[in-house]
Amino acid sequence: GDGRNVDRPVNREPDLDWISRVRVNHQAVLKRAQYIQSLKVSKKQWQAAWLLKAVTCIDLTTLAGDDTPSNVHRLCLKAIQPVRLDLLKNMDMHDKGITTAAVCVYPSRVADAVRSLKAAHSDLPVASVATGFPAGQTPLETRLQEVRLAVRDGAAEIDVVINRTLALSGQWEAMYRELHQFREACGDAHMKTILATGELGTFTNIYKASIVSMMAGSDFIKTSTGKEPVNATYPVAIVMARAIRDYYLSTGYKVLDPIILTCKIIIPVCVCVCVCVGVS
Amino acid sequence: MAGCAAKTVYEIFQSMEYGPTAAPSAATAQAWLEHHSRSLGLFIDGAFVSPAGRRSCPLTDPKGSVVCSIVCSEDEDVSRCSSSAVSGYKSWSSLTCSQRSRVLLRLVSVLGLHGQCVSELCDLCGAACSPTALVRLLQFYSSWAQLRDALLCDWTPVGVVVVVTSDDSSLYSLMLKVLPALAMGNSVIAVPGRSAAPPALLLAQLLAAGGLPAGALNVLTGSDVTLGAKVAQDPNASFVTYSGNQQDGAALCKATAGMGLPVSVSLCIGPVCPFIIFESADMDSAVDEVVQAAFKKRKEVHWVLCVQESVSESVTARLKLRIAGLKCVSLRSDADRVLVDAAVEEAQQQGATLVQSCPPPPGSQYPPTLLCGAAPSSPFVVSPPPGPLLPVVTFRSNAEAVVMGNHSPHGHAASIWTEDLTLALETAHSLSVGSVWVNSSSVVDPCLPVSGHKDSGTCTDGGQEGLYQFLRPSGSTPLPRSAPGLMDYTRFGTEPSQAFIPESSEPGSSPQSYLQFVGGKACKSVSGCTMAVRAPGGSAVLALCPDGGRKDVRDAVEAAVKVQPGWKKKSPSARAQSLYSLAKGLEAKRLELAASLVSQTGVSLDEAGQEVDLSITRLSVWAAYCDKMQGGSLPMPQSGTALAIPEALGVVGIILPDKRPLLSMVTLLGAAIATGNAVIMVPSQKHPLPALAFIQVLQSSDLPAGVVNIITGSPDQLTVALANHSVIKAIWYWGSAQGRQYLQHTCASPVKSLRLFHQDQEGNDGGPDWTRSQPSLLQDLWRNAVQWKSVWIPSA
Repeated sequence: GDGRNVDRPVNREPDLDWISRVRVNHQAVLKRAQYIQSLKVSKKQWQAAWLLKAVTCIDLTTLAGDDTPSNVHRLCLKAIQPVRLDLLKNMDMHDKGITTAAVCVYPSRVADAVRSLKAAHSDLPVASVATGFPAGQTPLETRLQEVRLAVRDGAAEIDVVINRTLALSGQWEAMYRELHQFREACGDAHMKTILATGELGTFTNIYKASIVSMMAGSDFIKTSTGKEPVNATYPVAIVMARAIRDYYLSTGYKVLDPIILTCKIIIPVCVCVCVCVGVS
Repeated sequence: MAGCAAKTVYEIFQSMEYGPTAAPSAATAQAWLEHHSRSLGLFIDGAFVSPAGRRSCPLTDPKGSVVCSIVCSEDEDVSRCSSSAVSGYKSWSSLTCSQRSRVLLRLVSVLGLHGQCVSELCDLCGAACSPTALVRLLQFYSSWAQLRDALLCDWTPVGVVVVVTSDDSSLYSLMLKVLPALAMGNSVIAVPGRSAAPPALLLAQLLAAGGLPAGALNVLTGSDVTLGAKVAQDPNASFVTYSGNQQDGAALCKATAGMGLPVSVSLCIGPVCPFIIFESADMDSAVDEVVQAAFKKRKEVHWVLCVQESVSESVTARLKLRIAGLKCVSLRSDADRVLVDAAVEEAQQQGATLVQSCPPPPGSQYPPTLLCGAAPSSPFVVSPPPGPLLPVVTFRSNAEAVVMGNHSPHGHAASIWTEDLTLALETAHSLSVGSVWVNSSSVVDPCLPVSGHKDSGTCTDGGQEGLYQFLRPSGSTPLPRSAPGLMDYTRFGTEPSQAFIPESSEPGSSPQSYLQFVGGKACKSVSGCTMAVRAPGGSAVLALCPDGGRKDVRDAVEAAVKVQPGWKKKSPSARAQSLYSLAKGLEAKRLELAASLVSQTGVSLDEAGQEVDLSITRLSVWAAYCDKMQGGSLPMPQSGTALAIPEALGVVGIILPDKRPLLSMVTLLGAAIATGNAVIMVPSQKHPLPALAFIQVLQSSDLPAGVVNIITGSPDQLTVALANHSVIKAIWYWGSAQGRQYLQHTCASPVKSLRLFHQDQEGNDGGPDWTRSQPSLLQDLWRNAVQWKSVWIPSA
C-alpha cells in the first residue's frame, strides 16, 4: 500500500445529502463487470508485473481458531518472501523488495507476529482484525477496547468490520459515528474498513457504506471478511472502485481498495480498479 | 509501441501500464480465404462461380493490407443470378413451413462447427458480428418460418427479394433482412457492401450445405451501390430493401425510381443519436457506457451526450478521469483525419472546450475527445465527422431533454439514463426514434421491431412487424414492373391546368361550385382558380372544384402539423368515438353522398347506395380497430422489459384512386387517422365530387380541425407539392408510372415512405378490391400508417 504516508483526510461531519443521492443501477453494473471480464489480459512481462503488484497489495492472513505462535511465524516468513527467489531473479525483481503489504492476524496473535517480524529484521506492518470480527455483533465498548488493545500490542493496521445492522437499516449517520470512534481509537494505525458486501443486500448499500467509511476516515476499504458466503465479486469491486473515484473527485483523497481474491482473477480486478480509479 | 518488448518487469511494475493486446487469431478464416485463393467469386445457384474477365476489387483490413479480392458483377452475372433466384423461389416456397424452418435451424448447428471461421472472417473484414448474434437471428427466424402459415395466414411471400447494404454495414444488418425474407418463403439476392461480402459468401455456402435449395440465396458482389440498382432493374425482382448509410440509400432510391419496384430503406449507419443523462441517473454506469459506446473503433452511430445541468460538472469530472486512461483510436483514413481536425478547430472557434487524454499525434491516430459546451445546432453536432469525438450539451429540464433529443433530423435511437421509471417511460414515449435504450445502449435483438423515424428510414426490421415487408396480402397484385422513363424531374407537374372557361349558356344552369377542406374550413383555393368536373363519359361540366396548388398544400400541412400531436396523444377509444361519429354522420348524409356517386360515376342509385353503406361499415371497422393496433411486451433473451409501441407517422399525403371514390377514400382515411395520423387527401381528378360532398360530413364531425384535409386540383401538381414538403412522412399514391417515378426519385432524401399503386388513364388500378374487407388488406393498410418503436428496459 502506498497510502501510508499520505495525510489523513480531515474528519468532517457526514455528508448525508450525498449519501441520499447515491444511485446504482444493478444491471448496468453487472453488464460492466461482464465487459471487464471479457477484456483480454496482457501477457508476458505485463502479466508478471501486474501479478507482482497484486502480491504487494495482499495482506497475508491467518484467521483461524487454531492459530498458534508457530504457524503465525511461518506466515510472517512467507510474507517477507512471498515469491520464490529464483523466479524473482529471472525477472530481475529480487532486489526490489517484493513483500506482501502486511501480515494479518487476530488481536491475540498480534504480539506473536510483531515478535516474529522483528526477529526477521522486517518492517512489514502487522494488521489486526478487530471490532468483533467477523460479525461485529458485540457491544461498541468491547469493539473499541479491542482496537485499543491491538494497537497497544503493536498492530500498525486495524481491520474493522462495519456494523451491518446500522447499514441495513439505513442509519448511516450512526454508522459514521461508530467508525469515527474506531478511527480515533486507532491512533496512528491505519484503519481498513471491511464492508462485508455479501451481507449488504444491494449495490446501492455497498456504495453508501463505502462513502460513509471513507468520510469517517478509513485509509482502506475492503470488500469482505472472507467469512461470508459471498465475498469479492467483480460487480462489487466496480461499485467500490466507483465510490472511491467519487470520493476522490469530491475530496481529492484517494482511499485504497484491496480485495480478497484468488490469483487467476486478480488481474482483471486490478484492471477494473485501475480503469475506475486511475493509477495512484 | 516500438520498444515494447524491451520493457522490463520492474518498469511495468512501477508504471502499471497495459501491455500490447495479442492480435486475435484468424487462422481458420485465412485458411478459408486461401482455399479460395484469396479471390472470392459470386455465390449463384448454390455454388461459387468465378466468371472470367471480371474486374476484381481488393478488400483491405484496417491496417491497409489486402485480405482478399471480390468480383465486380456485370449484367450477365445479374441475369444469371436472377433466373437462379426465380427457380430458387419456386423450390423454396413450395417447401412446407417446417421444412423451411428446419433448414434455417440446421445452420445453427453448422455455425456451432464453423462459428469461429465466420467471426474471424467478420473481424478480418471489419463487419463485426458475433456467432451468438447470428445464432439468435437464426433461431428467431426459423421459429417464424415454422409459424408463418399459422400466424400470418392470408399473406404470401413477395417473391425475389433484393437485399442491399452499404460498404460500412455489418453482417448483422444484412442478415437481419436476409433471414426474415427467407423465413417468409422468398428467395433472396444479397448484395452486401464490401466489408460484409466475404462473410456473406461464407454464410451462403453454409446455408446451402445445410439444405437451402439452390438459388434461394444468391450473393452478388460489386464495387459500389450501383450494383444494387442493376439487380433491382432485373424484371424478376419484386422488392428491394436496403440497410446502411444515408448517402448510398438515397443513391439507390434515385437509381431505382420508376422501375415499378417497392424500395424500403433502413438508414442505420451514421445517424446522430442522443445519449441523455438525467440527474436521477446512476452516473458512474452512464459514464462508463458512453465512453464505451462513443470511443469504440467502428461505431455505427454518432452519439451526442446530453447531460442535465445539475449534474453536468460531476459527469464531466468522471469523463475526464476516464478519458485520461484511454488510448488513441485509429481513424479509417487520412482523409478522416482532415475532417476531424476541421471539426475540432471549428468547435474551438465556437467556444467549445476540448478534453483529450493527450495532444493528437500526427497520422491516423486520434485521442478520444470531449467537446464540452456544444449546442445542438453546432455544425459538429449536426454533421459529425468520423472519429472519437463526443459533443457534450447540457439541458435544464426533462422537457428540454426531449427537445434536444429530438433535435437531429435522424430518428434512429436514443439512450436514456435515469433510475426514475416514470421519467424513463415518459421520455421514451416522447422521443421520435426507433429504439430507446433505458440505462443501456446499443442493444439489438431480432425480436425488437425498429422503424427508422424521421429521416432514418422507411421500413421496420425485427419482430413480427418486420416480417410484413417481405409479404403481401394474398390476392393483391404487385406493382407492374416498368422501365424508368427519361424524365425531366423539374418539369413534372408544372403544366398549367386547363383553365375553366365559362361558356355561354342559359342563365340559371351554371354548374355548382364546390369548396375544398383545409384546416377544418371549407374554402376556395389560395389562387382562387377553379377546375371543371366532367360528367362520366361526357364532356358536360358537372360542377366546379377548386384548383389547389402548392400554397394550399402548405396551409393544409401547417394545420395538420398543429393538430396531429394532440390527435395522436388522444386515447385510442377517443379516436374510435370520433370515427364512429364520422360513420354516423355519413349515414345521415347517405342520400346526398349516393347522389354524388351517381352523378359522378354514372352508377345506378342502388350501387351507389351500396357503396355508401360499405363506407359506413368501413369507418366503423376502423373505429373498432383503434384500440386493437397495439404493441406489447417482447420476449428478449436478456432479463428486462422490452416494449413495442406503434406510433403514427405524422402527416400522410394521399393521392386517391379513381375507382370507388367514396369507399376507397374512407378506407384510406380511416387507416391513417385511426392510427393517429393527420391526412392531406387529393381526390381523383376524374371523380372528385364524392370526396367534396364528404366535406359536409367532416364538418359536422367532432374530428379536430386539420386532422383531415381535402385539396382538389391537378394531381401531378399536388403530388409535387406533397413530395417536396419536408414534414410529410408518407405518401400513398394512385397514378401514372411517371408520377410514381417522380415520387421515388424525389422522396429519396429526406426519405418518405411510399405506397405506390398503378392506375392507368381509364382508372383501372392494381390496388386492392375496396369492397372486400379481407383482414390482411386492412392490416396491410394500417401497418403502413404506423412506425414502430422499441423500448428496452434491462433489469437484473
